[in-house]
Amino acid sequence: MRAALRWIRSDLRARPFQVAVEMLVVGGVLTALLLSVTVLEGATNPWAGLFAQSRGAQIWMRLAPGTKVSGLRQIGGVTAIAGPYSTTAATIVQGPLQSAVELRAMTPAMPQIGRLLVRQGSWLAPSAPGGVVLEASFAQAIHCRVGSELVINGIDGPTAKVRVIGIAATSDQGFYPDQTPGLAWVQLPLLRRIEPIARHTEEVVGIRIANSADTSFVAQQAVAELTGAVRSVSTWTQVEQSMARGDPLLGLLLALFGLVALGGAVLVIASATGGRVLVQLEELATLKTLGFTPGQITAMVVAEHAGVGLAGASLGVVATRYLTVPLLHGIPASIVPAVVPLPATWIVLMACSAEFLVVLAAAFPGWRAGRVSAVVAVRRPLPAGHLSQLARVVMLSRFPPAIVLGARAAFIRRLPAALTIGGLAMSMAVITIGLGVASTVDDVQRHPANIGLAAALTVSPGELSQAQAGAIVSGDRQVLSAYPSVQVNALLATGTTTITTLGLGTSARPYPFHVAQGSLYHAPGQAVASQGLLDLLHLKVGELVPMQINGVPVIFRIVGRIVEPEYSGQVLAYGLDTLSQAGVVSPPVYYSLVLRPGVTVSAARRHLLAVSGGRLDVTEVNDPASQLGIIRPMLAGLIAVLALVGLVSVLTASSVGIRDQLRDVGALRAIGLTPRQVMVSMVSSTTALAVIAIATGATAGFMVSTRLINLGAQVYGIGSGIGRPPSAPAMAAAILIAAAGATLTAILPARRVVATPVATMLGP
Amino acid sequence: MIARAVPQPAPSADEMLLKIVGLSKVYKGGGPPVHAVRGVSLSLEPGQFVAVMGPSGSGKSSLLHMLGGLEPPTTGQIWFDGARVDGLSQARWAMLRRRNIGFVFQFFNLVSNMTVADNVELPALMSGATRRQAKERRIELLAELGLSDKASASPARLSGGEQQRVALARALANRPSLLLADEPTGNLDSLNSADVLRVLCRVHGQGQTIILVTHDARAASMADRVVNLFDGMIIDDMDVVTPIRPSVAAAGVLRLGE
Ligand SMILES: Nc1ncnc2c1ncn2[C@@H]1O[C@H](COP(=O)(O)OP(=O)(O)O)[C@@H](O)[C@H]1O
Ligand SMILES: [Mg+2]
Repeated sequence: MRAALRWIRSDLRARPFQVAVEMLVVGGVLTALLLSVTVLEGATNPWAGLFAQSRGAQIWMRLAPGTKVSGLRQIGGVTAIAGPYSTTAATIVQGPLQSAVELRAMTPAMPQIGRLLVRQGSWLAPSAPGGVVLEASFAQAIHCRVGSELVINGIDGPTAKVRVIGIAATSDQGFYPDQTPGLAWVQLPLLRRIEPIARHTEEVVGIRIANSADTSFVAQQAVAELTGAVRSVSTWTQVEQSMARGDPLLGLLLALFGLVALGGAVLVIASATGGRVLVQLEELATLKTLGFTPGQITAMVVAEHAGVGLAGASLGVVATRYLTVPLLHGIPASIVPAVVPLPATWIVLMACSAEFLVVLAAAFPGWRAGRVSAVVAVRRPLPAGHLSQLARVVMLSRFPPAIVLGARAAFIRRLPAALTIGGLAMSMAVITIGLGVASTVDDVQRHPANIGLAAALTVSPGELSQAQAGAIVSGDRQVLSAYPSVQVNALLATGTTTITTLGLGTSARPYPFHVAQGSLYHAPGQAVASQGLLDLLHLKVGELVPMQINGVPVIFRIVGRIVEPEYSGQVLAYGLDTLSQAGVVSPPVYYSLVLRPGVTVSAARRHLLAVSGGRLDVTEVNDPASQLGIIRPMLAGLIAVLALVGLVSVLTASSVGIRDQLRDVGALRAIGLTPRQVMVSMVSSTTALAVIAIATGATAGFMVSTRLINLGAQVYGIGSGIGRPPSAPAMAAAILIAAAGATLTAILPARRVVATPVATMLGP
Repeated sequence: MIARAVPQPAPSADEMLLKIVGLSKVYKGGGPPVHAVRGVSLSLEPGQFVAVMGPSGSGKSSLLHMLGGLEPPTTGQIWFDGARVDGLSQARWAMLRRRNIGFVFQFFNLVSNMTVADNVELPALMSGATRRQAKERRIELLAELGLSDKASASPARLSGGEQQRVALARALANRPSLLLADEPTGNLDSLNSADVLRVLCRVHGQGQTIILVTHDARAASMADRVVNLFDGMIIDDMDVVTPIRPSVAAAGVLRLGE
């Protein structure tokens, strides 16, 4: 349809700014979505990323020393072999602490297959024969940095003093401490020094195969090939499983963002198309008088916006491609160990969905455009304006007449006014919700106790007796309180489900859970549960739940609901006295320590280790809030996209308004309003709409924000009660910036109109 | 300047380009129904130039819109080129307009974002012409209307008369069998009006059938036939036998006709 194409081309050319913004919105939303999915994928399933980046091997085998491995290459499907590398067990000694470690001998030349991803420091180097590179999760767990000095003890006694020169990630094995021992890479001479007896070493060889689906088949063949020499085999599925982490909080927030971003995109396209159609009604009607059919008009309008959408989507795909890698560097590896670009099929699928949504959003305005009567082209009645009640009040309050005139003009056309207010209010509401998410994240990070993380450290007696350990932790000045704790599995009375239960403190001195509903346990037999468990068992606070613990029946009354992100939110907690009263043999007790305000976790840990001479086992509590850091940049991106949505709404409003006002403006200037006054009138027309929209949106967003976050948390089993309202300064800033932005945006087109000579405007 | 002295014998129905029977239009908006056109019947031979006159609000535009399918009639029949068209769907009407009916309006209705050339090429492109054919036709039309140097201008940069001539070029691009013009000079000064009328006269001379709605007696005087509407009804329908023209207007036409 050449005529339609020509019309689309000229329409796009006539409004480059709007088109660019529309494209940016689609591209921005798609980028935000793709990056969110990438990060989420990297955070919850890091193996794939690590595997791709390290060009890892799917199969790892431990072999007797000196095994010939050349035969492995002949197995069908094998593309490359990593190693063999000599390896030996050893112990890392840090003051009083000892950690088991596997030393693996490698060369300063990084291998092609099974590469190590150096995160800090550097790889092994000939110039540093005594240097060791630690696996990242292991290094984090044993508090080592680049530069740390360590002592490594061989099994048979030899000792070496070494320096950590690098920290690297690998896809060869799962994260510490899920997978032990920890992994450290050294050069062969150092390994020989620590384990001089070759017989005591093993060899590790990795097999990379073309198709991961063939793993077990190839593994079987490899074992057969090396008969007798294979000590153990591990495959990528085990590693993948051990690395996989469901992080409900992160997932929840990302899902929320994704939905909001999609909603925003649909909204902006619908409002931009709708507004554009309104502005063009007469022209579209003229095209009808020339012989365009209704279907052609609809197709043309949809095609124009679909084209812009497609350009935007392509922009998004390209942006994602170039942003994924910088993003990888921006996120600490402890949160997201590896980010791999998403598979092309996913990207194409998501880009297509985005394009589909654009078409969907443009369809209704397009359909309306097709239905516009051709006589609109030649009969153009302006809706009769009347001075609204509001305008009258404003007039009485002696506002400058230009503002009153403009504000009045804004409401003459009800539908565009409603569209603008709707679009802008929606984006404002979602921005407000975003600010709510930000302050929730802030709150969780500042007061981890609110999500069940009152204790920063747990201490097991280790080599000490329970009484000694209890005395040390309760006597430590850095510890505010210490709660004796046990973790036991309980079998539900139905006998089919096992859940994790925690005995924490006693009924007289319960652990300071953040209770979202009901109360804490204050008597034996009372317990608190988190949302996920209540959902799982279809229970409500106040009900009884019979269980078996170590074969002994125990009946709990659930007296309260706690907020708990761990254990997928499926956890039951009670006082230790409940167990003793029921006659359950208590499992080993550890202590959950709440630190005094101002005491850092690592300082307390060091102090406890020092006091106990290293005989206590001190573990830091995994803090899910630490992973929420990435939320902030994402939130910033989202707000930027929503600001674009708002911008489009305002642009639409001012162009619709200006078309209506054009003749008025001519008249106004003819009766003596200065250009400046005319401009004030036109701008205040848009600003009036914007102010209403911003106020409505901010109010609505404020009212639903906390509830929405809680609802999401409830769905994810964390339980409601973590949501916080947006902070007052952030809200104030958002409102002011939005209002100022809307006004500035409206000034642009108004200036152009004011610059046109009066005579032109007084024409038709 | 001698008009036909003897009216030609009335042609039979199938020679008529356009025939309307008992056409009426009632607008039912919010208020009381408005009877804009009340039972108008009319036949038009190919090549005829009909001026429709009447006071404002007498239903001239409504009639013209129904003839072009912009609005459906409330009752009555429209026959175009021997086929009944009043019941056609919007899309069918659009296709009929595309090939057979050209429109010119008081306010020009050019597509503001397109150049003059694009505006004029649009109808040809719409009816399936190649870019090259459309361009050739456009060059021809613009040359004929003295607008060759404005081809790449934006409509907003043209004077009213120039814009209306572009609109005429656009309406004539597909050589329509019928040209419908609704007060094409209503928004022009006398000089520009005369310009536009001169074009109409010339295309009529080339055999173009025209219905011209106008308030302008001078314009009407160029027609073969003048239909007078009042309150939605035809009160007078006469062939122009002897042009009785005010000398000033005649002089104007003569001057511009050269
Ligand atoms: N869409 C409409 N709704 C209601 N009344 C209309 C509409 N269009 C025209 N009219 C009325 O119909 C009558 C005829 O109008 P019109 O055909 O425009 O007359 P003319 O072109 O001769 O001035 C007028 O009274 C006008 O107000
Ligand atoms: Mg009229």
